[in-house]
Amino acid sequence: MRIALLLGPALVVIAALFLGGVGLGLARSFNYMPIIGLDDPNLDAYAWVLTDEDFLLSFVLTFHIAFTSTVISAVLAIGAALVLRHTFVGKKVITFLFQLNLTIPHIVGAVGILYLFSQSGFFARIAYAAGAIERTSDFPALVFDPYAIGIILQYVWKEVPFIGVIVLAVLQSVGQDYEALAQSLGANRWQRFRYVLLPLIMPGVLSASVIVFAFTFGAFEIPFLLGQNHPVALPVLAYRSYTDVDLAARPEAMAMAMVITVMSGLMIYAYVRLSRRYLRAG
Amino acid sequence: MTRLNLHKLTKRYRGKTEPALDDLSLEVESGSLTALLGPSGCGKTTTMKLIAGLLEPTLGDILFDGRSILGVAPERRGAVMVFQNYLLFPYMTVAENVGFGLKMRRVDRATIDRRVAEMLELVRLPGLEDRRPKELSGGQQQRVALARALIVLPKLLLLDEPLSNLDAHLRFEMRDLIRDIQRQMGITTVFVTHDQEEAVVLADKVALIFDGRLQQYDAPTAFYETPVTRRIAAFFGGVNFFQGRRNRKQFDCAIGTFSAPRSAIADQPGILSIRPEDVRLAEAGAANSVAGRIHSHVYVGTHTRLRVSVSGGHEVCVVTDAEVMKTHKPGDPVTLRFPEEKLWVLPPDALVEPTAAHREDTRFGVTKTKGCR
Amino acid sequence: MTASNQSSRAAPAGGTRDGRRDVIVRWAVISLLLTWLALPIVPLLIWSFSFRWFFPDVLPADYSLRAWQYVFSPTSGVLQSLRDTLLISGGATLLSVIIGVPAGRALGQYVFRGKSIVELLILAPIIVPGIAVALGIHVLFIRYGLANTLFGVMLVHLIPTLPYMVLVMSGVFANYDTSYEAQARTLGAGPIRAFWYVTLPAILPGIVVGGLFAFLVSWAQYILTLLIGGGRVVTLPLLLFNFATAGRNDITGAISMLYIIPGVVILLLSARYLTGNASAVGGLGRL
Repeated sequence: MRIALLLGPALVVIAALFLGGVGLGLARSFNYMPIIGLDDPNLDAYAWVLTDEDFLLSFVLTFHIAFTSTVISAVLAIGAALVLRHTFVGKKVITFLFQLNLTIPHIVGAVGILYLFSQSGFFARIAYAAGAIERTSDFPALVFDPYAIGIILQYVWKEVPFIGVIVLAVLQSVGQDYEALAQSLGANRWQRFRYVLLPLIMPGVLSASVIVFAFTFGAFEIPFLLGQNHPVALPVLAYRSYTDVDLAARPEAMAMAMVITVMSGLMIYAYVRLSRRYLRAG
Repeated sequence: MTRLNLHKLTKRYRGKTEPALDDLSLEVESGSLTALLGPSGCGKTTTMKLIAGLLEPTLGDILFDGRSILGVAPERRGAVMVFQNYLLFPYMTVAENVGFGLKMRRVDRATIDRRVAEMLELVRLPGLEDRRPKELSGGQQQRVALARALIVLPKLLLLDEPLSNLDAHLRFEMRDLIRDIQRQMGITTVFVTHDQEEAVVLADKVALIFDGRLQQYDAPTAFYETPVTRRIAAFFGGVNFFQGRRNRKQFDCAIGTFSAPRSAIADQPGILSIRPEDVRLAEAGAANSVAGRIHSHVYVGTHTRLRVSVSGGHEVCVVTDAEVMKTHKPGDPVTLRFPEEKLWVLPPDALVEPTAAHREDTRFGVTKTKGCR
Repeated sequence: MTASNQSSRAAPAGGTRDGRRDVIVRWAVISLLLTWLALPIVPLLIWSFSFRWFFPDVLPADYSLRAWQYVFSPTSGVLQSLRDTLLISGGATLLSVIIGVPAGRALGQYVFRGKSIVELLILAPIIVPGIAVALGIHVLFIRYGLANTLFGVMLVHLIPTLPYMVLVMSGVFANYDTSYEAQARTLGAGPIRAFWYVTLPAILPGIVVGGLFAFLVSWAQYILTLLIGGGRVVTLPLLLFNFATAGRNDITGAISMLYIIPGVVILLLSARYLTGNASAVGGLGRL
């Protein structure tokens, strides 16, 4: 009773907004909307979306963005955390700077990346000054490009500190005794990393990576700003068909939203599995 | 079999004024079991990490069989630590844990399996290869940790508080196991502990360290019979200390004059000490005795503790038979005999460099409450 | 071999101790890392003070405060946008605290049937991207007249902020020993007074930090505002986006600087708490 009272308001709000949103989206993706006279659910939108070349290209692109960003971020974050965990002069300041862009919204980072890497951006100017290029179009396309390099650069910029801070927290709770012990048992530096440190931090790295993957798969504003026009990332494609003048495209938008939801559902499953394993091991 | 020498070992941590370890010299005989004993923060764990190579000394040298090993990396030193909290790798099975050291040496799989089985046999845990550390009891975890250390046949085994995390009945079992294995394999073993009982029951020799300095390095009995300072005597449960002066095998102090042939000092001012369990109840007028009145008594099952007020406002703490409880009441007059072979004369405190910590402890010893509750 | 000889020895190879080379490598890596992290902010800062900065100039030809004057002029709309953003994030934070603290207590201190499902429900909105939820909920907001309003946007921001708050608070409560409250009760305090005088002071740091970060989560929202606000509610990130795509780099730079200030301030206030607190950081994946 007491628990119901404590939890009630939060559950009502989350159920109404989150489950309501997902549920309505799901209903509309099936063309089911009784209040506007659609009371005959069907799979037309999915049939259309899943055979649409634009959608498939978008899906591949989005998966590429999310996967590449997550892997690069996780690897760099592990390296950064390993370097940062040692006590040394100025550690406080450095850790602060490391965490700083956790609080800087993605959109600011995205604009920053744009001004750095666009063909008239900061690096292009430096390349010109160095005589490496003669006109802006000589500079390689790093934003609005088919490989989504700009988008990935932005995500890596933002997520390295995020995963890094989590890895640092795990490292702190693990301490250095396991490594000391392994060393006295004869493990060299590489072996201590491979057989001791990595398995100990892996659950933390993976659960952070799962969050990053889900985010980068479903984020809108970064590919909206830094992506090319065609194909676009899935969230951008969904938004476009939702705001399409042709209202009939809306069920397709919903179907795409559901694809994103299913992907993040898989991530939630992975996250829960991983955090359980982490609890067991810790 | 390795002989360990610590030579003028000093460790100063950055930013600390007092050294964690100050000029420690020690020889640990080959195949022996030695305790580094002291209160927490005395420098004993630092010593162990220095030996293992996890820390580097500020000054001094560490020698295995007469050869300095300071230039040898920890993973090639052959000094294996067993941590107090065991630190079994949680993501590995028991077999993987025990075989870890051999895997690091790239020993082949079949040999590892065979040696793991042997080691588990040795620590009396056969057949537990596939368990996870979480599924083991504390005592079992410790034995796995021990097997993991022993499998690499270390030159030196370093144990951190080996008995302190165990229940009373497991302590004896573990003590016997450690002793047996250590004798059987002849591995020179050093362990650190803050518990003087743990040191005494397990070690051949005990090195007592206070404030980073070696106080006394001796067989366990010596710390009871011939402690070098009052502080050492107090650390081992001594509570009866009387200031006075030694004079040709006699000792004069506020509560009387006693025959005291055993002494750490020549004829000069000093401190007379007697352990509470060595004080005897006697007839009035007995030799080497003092008259007093029972202040209070506590029955502790196997024996009775008495606090006896004697002349000059002093108090003597006595540990005696449980039966005394029935025959003596608070307020009763009583005569206490100090057997002369049990009396021991200590140097005055002033002869020991009085650091703040020293004074603190000394005062504690004299307030008569410590062992006498 | 004498003691003095020993002290001058170099560190053994492969130890956990740091050789000189290790230190150099470490500082090189740290410098590189921090430079990379700071790099995207630099052009924004320079742009905000630039007057003319054409290709291929590496630095602006002229500097001016034009962009900043624009940002702070009452007619440009930037200040209204700032006010609206503050209102939305402040409101969403307040609601999250009020609703989230009790829920955090339930999850942090009690074991009950269906707890893992509740936890899953709390976790899901943190991981499922906003666009997936917002497209579906939009029709409901239109129906109840919440679309295109400040309040509607504030409400939809609860989707990421409330679960985050609950998550942080359940961590705080899991570490809080309720026997303090029980002790207060035995000393004669009623349940409310016991909470007010004993529990609240103990969990207040957690509430404050959780609240500050919930604020930042709302502060960073883009797509939820874009969809539910329908272009009528223009928060700072939307404005920023508009100027960025319109090519007004100087004003974009100035708004960016204005926009990142709360995060920097909040991190300064709470950096100590954040280090080593994975659950507080976990929710920041949505930022």
